[in-house]
Amino acid sequence: MEVTFYGVRGSIPAPGPDTNRYGGNTSCVSLRTKSGALVILDGGTGIVQLGRTLMAQEFGKGQGRAAILITHAHWDHIQGFPFFVPVFIPGNRFTIYGPGRSSAMLEGILEGQMNPNFSPLHTMRNLGAAIELAAIDTAIDPEFIESGLIVRGHLNPHGNTTALAYRIEEEGKVLVYAPDAGYPPSGPSPEAIALYKGADILIHDCTYTPEDRAARLVRGFSSIADAALCAVQAKVRHLVMTHYDQDYTDDQVDALAERCRHYLDEMGGIGIRLTAAREGLTLTL
Amino acid sequence: MKVRFWGVRGSFPVPGATTNRYGGNTSCVEVRPEGGPTIIIDAGTGLRKLGKELMSGECGSGQGNLHLLVSHTHWDHIQGLPFFAPMYQKGNRLQVYARQRDQHLRTVFASQTDSPYFPVPFHRVEADVSFRELLEGAKFEIGPVKVSCTRLNHPWIAMAYRLECDAATVTYVTDTAPFRDILIEHEFIRTPPRPGDPLKPEDAAKLEEMRAGVVRLCEGADLVIYDTQFTPEEYALRPHWGHSCPDDAIEIAQAAGAKALALFHYDPTRTDDQIDQILADCRARTRGLELLASAEHLEITLGKDGLQATPPPGQQEVKRWK
Repeated sequence: MEVTFYGVRGSIPAPGPDTNRYGGNTSCVSLRTKSGALVILDGGTGIVQLGRTLMAQEFGKGQGRAAILITHAHWDHIQGFPFFVPVFIPGNRFTIYGPGRSSAMLEGILEGQMNPNFSPLHTMRNLGAAIELAAIDTAIDPEFIESGLIVRGHLNPHGNTTALAYRIEEEGKVLVYAPDAGYPPSGPSPEAIALYKGADILIHDCTYTPEDRAARLVRGFSSIADAALCAVQAKVRHLVMTHYDQDYTDDQVDALAERCRHYLDEMGGIGIRLTAAREGLTLTL
Repeated sequence: MKVRFWGVRGSFPVPGATTNRYGGNTSCVEVRPEGGPTIIIDAGTGLRKLGKELMSGECGSGQGNLHLLVSHTHWDHIQGLPFFAPMYQKGNRLQVYARQRDQHLRTVFASQTDSPYFPVPFHRVEADVSFRELLEGAKFEIGPVKVSCTRLNHPWIAMAYRLECDAATVTYVTDTAPFRDILIEHEFIRTPPRPGDPLKPEDAAKLEEMRAGVVRLCEGADLVIYDTQFTPEEYALRPHWGHSCPDDAIEIAQAAGAKALALFHYDPTRTDDQIDQILADCRARTRGLELLASAEHLEITLGKDGLQATPPPGQQEVKRWK
């Protein structure tokens, strides 16, 4: 599996000279499986650049197929979708997964985004590609097979709502994607740790320093200390930080990574590799 | 009055090294009349940083009195509003103006922050937010500022605004297609006509009226801020998207006898270097009209002493003219 980061920012895109190194686009990660299938994690503004890259390949000819896994419907996780060029090319096929009781609910969310008050597209029916929607109700069926991958979802608390974390497994290699997790004071649930267990790569919410998190608890994001704790408890091999606060400059994210390293070491995770995700970064499992 | 740009981009925000100088935030302009309340035009992502600055003034203690004129409710013109700090401070007043829709404006704006899209629903906003629904031709006053508006050629219809105060006039004209090839209103246009193809007479008449309204709105303006999203090649492919090219903006500004034109609402693919080049090309072929490229943090002072453009530090040169 090969993972590439296209958007690592939380809440709202943050353009400007002081976000050039890590990038200012909101959440989007692409995953190319060993078999060549494409899985896209979240549709923040980072998906726009991914779309341009994909147009040079089979998606430009209307022969592309991808699964898009949405963690939750906050704007920063779906706002790039109407500008993702491959959805306008007839012949391309997408399956969009997201949390919900029914695919109709999921469709309603995306339709709301295309509403003519807000978007010139008016409705998803005006997109050229074939789009199939698949709601993930973790209470009924948390696990499914997509493109030969075993995918398992778990709902993390996220402020006054929840966000899915995904565990994706291919031939024994495990990637976990867990942005937007605001654990209770008791820490991550045993179910969350079980989902992260032994991951080769855990991409985890690192929105805040512990101080900023304490000042903004209701927002439901993790600090670097929360992320380090999860990585250590779940005995992952590699922790990848993402979803930085929109006000953090590149230098602040550098400092965030340095402190996260200390937390890992203090908590007994000396052997856990740590990377602060930036746009354009590719990791291989 | 002072005009400051906080977001100059169209469609969606574009972070990255190629947008550092002009800026990657979506549309937001601040107009500050001498002794009047702060007026904001459009609420793209640029609004977030303006909000932070306003919180260091009266808005921080809940004494802000803000007015927001919205050209239309496409995402790139409203997506900054949920991140506008003064809205979450009790005591602040925010009056929002936008064109009347078939739903009440409050409903339209509130649905942006409905579950599951945003954690804070509109009814939990602390400031006193009220809405005024406009129809084209409406004239009203915001403190000492005289405001008028006219409609534009854009999907679901956008509004242009004229603000007069302190012996100066600024107009904000975005988003709009030129008024010659296609009439864009509420219908979804699947296949656009080719630019230059003959129009239905009733469409041509409506466009002519719309153009006259825009020229009237910009008449004698000291500064016209205008949608220049497209290159001519891009426009030829997408006339139904409802955006103009720099030459369309120049043509209108000259017809209106305006003094200066600020290129605005750049396509997300446009790099800083390309904007430099577009501005240089436009200046080379334009007489009798000052040309500027709007950029985040560019500040323009307008008044009886003429116009002065103060760019962000290290960029362009300070320009003055009468």
